[in-house]
Amino acid sequence: MIYMIEDTINGILMGSIYGLTALGLTIIFGVLKVINFAHGSLLMVGMYAAYWAVALTGLHPYLTLVLVVPVMFVFGYYLQDIVIQPIFRAEKNVREPITVIIVTTGVWYILDNLTLLVFGPHYRTIQVNPLRGRMLEIGGLMISVPKLWGFVSAMVAAAAVYVFLQRTRMGRAIRATSLDRDAASLMGINPYKVYNVAFGIGTATAGIAAVTLVPFYNVFPTVGVLFDIKGFIIVVLGGLGSIGGAILGGIIIGLIESVGPQFMTATWTEAIVYGLFLLVLFVKPAGLFGVKYDW
Amino acid sequence: MKTDQPIARRMFRFFTAAVLVLMTAMPIHAEETVVRIGNIIPLSGPSASVGQQGKNAREMAVAEINAAGGIQSLDGARLEMIYADSESKPERGVAEAERLINTEKVHVLTGCWNSAVTYPTTAVAERYGIPFIVPVSVADKITEQGFKTVFRIAAKDSWWARDQFTFLKDMEVEFDTPVKRLAFVYENGDWGKGMAGQWKTLAEKGGYEVVLDEPYPSTATDLSPVVQKIRRARPDVLMLVSNAADAILLTNTLAAYKVKPKAIITSGGGHADPSFLEAAGENARYLFDIVEWETDINKPGAKEANERYKAAYGQNLTGEAVDAYLAMYVLADALERAGALDPAAIRDALAATRYESGKGMIVGYEAVEFDSTGQNKHAALMMVQINNAKSDLERITVWPKNARRKGYTPVFPMP
Repeated sequence: MIYMIEDTINGILMGSIYGLTALGLTIIFGVLKVINFAHGSLLMVGMYAAYWAVALTGLHPYLTLVLVVPVMFVFGYYLQDIVIQPIFRAEKNVREPITVIIVTTGVWYILDNLTLLVFGPHYRTIQVNPLRGRMLEIGGLMISVPKLWGFVSAMVAAAAVYVFLQRTRMGRAIRATSLDRDAASLMGINPYKVYNVAFGIGTATAGIAAVTLVPFYNVFPTVGVLFDIKGFIIVVLGGLGSIGGAILGGIIIGLIESVGPQFMTATWTEAIVYGLFLLVLFVKPAGLFGVKYDW
Repeated sequence: MKTDQPIARRMFRFFTAAVLVLMTAMPIHAEETVVRIGNIIPLSGPSASVGQQGKNAREMAVAEINAAGGIQSLDGARLEMIYADSESKPERGVAEAERLINTEKVHVLTGCWNSAVTYPTTAVAERYGIPFIVPVSVADKITEQGFKTVFRIAAKDSWWARDQFTFLKDMEVEFDTPVKRLAFVYENGDWGKGMAGQWKTLAEKGGYEVVLDEPYPSTATDLSPVVQKIRRARPDVLMLVSNAADAILLTNTLAAYKVKPKAIITSGGGHADPSFLEAAGENARYLFDIVEWETDINKPGAKEANERYKAAYGQNLTGEAVDAYLAMYVLADALERAGALDPAAIRDALAATRYESGKGMIVGYEAVEFDSTGQNKHAALMMVQINNAKSDLERITVWPKNARRKGYTPVFPMP
């Protein structure tokens, strides 16, 4: 029984971090209607930023949020503004422009290979940090402290993004653009500006996810790919464009991965995750928590 | 000046003439006996770096042998190396073997590192009766074709698992710590599953109890569920097969969950990756890893050989390089006893090899002696322990015992 509780807690904690890594993907899709294949690479960039910030200053990993989040926002903002926007303008009559997906794939390859070139293929972890390997022990129960921090960050980040979209003027503009780009621009909203901001926010959340991962995970040039695949499954599971769905989708995956191995080998849980993914696509293509309209 | 030819052209003519004269003079000098050794190794393509290591080591050994007077029984015959690039492709290996035998008239062949290349290429040598020395290609089947001309120096694939178990048994005896419960955790690819299959047979034979048999995907982003299973199975010894990222994640997660079996035995791969020690740090302490060769090996001549190699090529010797280096000495030893360049005589001399001491013997095991299949029956792997002998964590040779680093006592069981 205690094993069950332990695994469920680990599943929820790790799952919420998966949800956080997928949050940016779902935000960007919700607004731009484009699957951002470079999302894992953005996460990787964030992880390198956080890694170097901690390695060079020796600060508490979570203090690097102050640095990583603005840097990632600006990075995402201008990535969209300079690299992706011209394609959007060229394809402005298409609701879901395919070429943009290809551009994001290009960005993914360029970022991964640039990192490989600059930092080499080494695996890095932060050696000295107050969270590394820390465990909360309650009776026989072991809970990973860095994952607990990750869980809290995921909840706060998701709530903050939600409130921002609901309550602020920019948030309303983002939602309007996401509902109907043409109508929004008739109301005086510059959709390209909105895209920049949405991409910036998506990238910044990838930055938050990166900070939560760095205390207990390795940093290497292709780290994004591992989380990318999971991210796609999560957003489809939770419903593309749904913020709550991303977090819940992440937790579902986390639970399968964590509780499943007690009944089977760890290899099988992967099969179950993909099986569930296909099942959801068949039965409820909008995702478990997807909405018929986008926001 | 116009009528005068430029000095460069005149020089060119002179040298061309000189070279031509020298070339015609060559056959006279070539009457001294030369042993022609054909080497088919990957010098381009995906395995080029390891092929180059093999080439460097061969060059070093041959230079030493020639400098020491060549093969005495053949009137000081020199060894002459002819290289062919396999590009890691089986069909290239086969074609190059044909060319080396028919056109270059080699007396002996060596190669090819890639098991997939060695396997069909040895068949060509067998057909022509040319002895084929395989310094290292691990696939078991290479020496299981019933060939008479194939001689493998290095241990074969299935001996890695065998040596891990032999090591464990030796440790149990040396430190008087019986081990009963084993846990097998491995990446779910061909490599991991293959190793685990052999472990299961060996565990059964050794009378161990397997308390956990768990494959996991190498791409896993969270290994704490696997670590939880290990913790709950309470094994005495944990045996791992991991790639790079998962080796680090697993080691760090095991430490976080305070899983402390008596020993953790790993299988190279991710645990031998240069960034593993750096990324796992203190959590990797006391781990035992299997390896072909390590620079700190306590064998006469090993340190000096490594220094010569490093001075010449700027790198430390590797397992592959050492096998190639030893192969050349084994060949020289056989040629010495054969006293002839006839391939059959060389083959018979190789088959009767018992090479125990000499400059090439810088490996962990005791001798080179081929069984009826042509496999070096003494070949074995080595075990290292990660610990700090001086200041930083490093890989310290602990097994076989006679190759153990001087002054180091392995830590078993883990404190």
